[in-house]
Amino acid sequence: MAETILVVDDDLDILELLKMNLEPDGYEVRTASDGKAAVETATLDPPDLILLDVMMPHKDGFQVIEELKNIEETKTVPVILLTARGQTEDKVQGLDAGADDYITKPFDLREVTARVKAVLGRTRPIKYINPLMRAMGSGFNEAGVQQLAGHLQAAAAIQKKLLPEQAPSFQGFDIGILLQSSMSVSGDFYDFIPLSETRIGIVLGDVKGNGIPAALLMVMIRTALRLLCREADDPASILKRINDLVVRDTDATLFATMIYGVMDTVTSTFTYSNGGHCYPLHRKRTGVIDVLKTGSMLVGAFEEATFASNTCLLAPGDIVVFYTDGITETNAGDDSVVNENILVGSEDVKGQQNATSSDVFYGQDRLAACISENAILSASALCEAIVEDLARFSGSTQTHDDRALVVIKRNT
Amino acid sequence: MNFDTTIAEKNISILHVEGKILGNAADVFRREMEQQLQAAQGKLVVDLMNVPLIDSSALGAIVLTLKYCQESGGKLVLLNPQKAVREVLEVTQLATVIEIYDTEESASAALI
Repeated sequence: MAETILVVDDDLDILELLKMNLEPDGYEVRTASDGKAAVETATLDPPDLILLDVMMPHKDGFQVIEELKNIEETKTVPVILLTARGQTEDKVQGLDAGADDYITKPFDLREVTARVKAVLGRTRPIKYINPLMRAMGSGFNEAGVQQLAGHLQAAAAIQKKLLPEQAPSFQGFDIGILLQSSMSVSGDFYDFIPLSETRIGIVLGDVKGNGIPAALLMVMIRTALRLLCREADDPASILKRINDLVVRDTDATLFATMIYGVMDTVTSTFTYSNGGHCYPLHRKRTGVIDVLKTGSMLVGAFEEATFASNTCLLAPGDIVVFYTDGITETNAGDDSVVNENILVGSEDVKGQQNATSSDVFYGQDRLAACISENAILSASALCEAIVEDLARFSGSTQTHDDRALVVIKRNT
Repeated sequence: MNFDTTIAEKNISILHVEGKILGNAADVFRREMEQQLQAAQGKLVVDLMNVPLIDSSALGAIVLTLKYCQESGGKLVLLNPQKAVREVLEVTQLATVIEIYDTEESASAALI
């Protein structure tokens, strides 16, 4: 049976042009010349795909998407938006509203064919499940959603189980950890791997990308690391092997930034390799804060990436803090007190005339200041102090990005 | 986020981006870069002077576009990233695989 495409545009020439272009490829093409007719036609007999113009009188493309997403029969029908050249906000708004793709006008007909084919290819498997869901009655949809939520919770539970709930106790050192997830599945991770009586492997990382695929990559990296760190000693060579594994087995949208290092209690050293991750902060007992800036390429994107190892010496009372960008990229709240501080303290904000509070980040300097102020605390209390400072700064205890922290303190 | 494109000498396309590149905007950003690369025979300057910040999705867009260049023989260079963006490029070491210039002239010259 031919797949049906509903084309919606107030320009009749464009309707005709698209119809003439798509029909020879075997699609059944229906047309609607305004938003109201589009919603009616789509609801009556849901098509396999909708090509939808944004700029239409009375009811624009965004309103149409919003309505379609609220109607049981049409909410899973994929939509490709037709947007005007240069209307970037339209494209972003369209994707946010639930459009699957967009095509910029004036368009090349070959591009239309290619995008239609690609979107249908992606959504076809879903199509066969949906009628089944509908046939099982309205009750199933609730249950279906709950089931999906259940799977996500299960994934989150597995992931949390993989992350150690408590920091290990390690002679002569005090270790604190913290993880705050913005969603049920998290991209941030850490792990501690005992290597011997006197050596422990420590990793902190952030998988880029979203949802389940990112969570799976995290599990893959963690597993690979656990195996590899027993085969090799040099953190750089371990990151290189993980890099090559991820490049080979995943697509380029998935990559991670991570630090892996080995702490040795005999030599009081931390030997690490930094794969494109936020620079750790090393606070010496004297009060000086060193930003550990030697880093290597992010992990899993480039086959040719190389990695280097570095060693830092931990004197009694020294603190090393590892963190993910969810900490430093916390946005300032609307609190005016916070904003005043920022204008005094931050160079890059002064240079921008239209900087709003949402352009201002917590940043590495504030983190360093917070560590210094609370250096006397235990490692886990220091983690708490940082979280409290973030809440004061952002005016909220909620976080829109994952946050992870590992604090290592050498006892005095 | 908004775009504006100018064409420099020798058919080099300069994509001026304005505003933050976050979330879904990164996908639009990637597509725009790819289209410009196709239109300009693989020579693209991305002007980041008016981009106050980018997130990991935007980093992913740059990674993908670099890979697209590797495959298609094109070249992408960045112009004038501001402090916050420059820091992200440096920390992730993307700065070591992509050329960054301070002036339009030097950026264009790198593509000739």
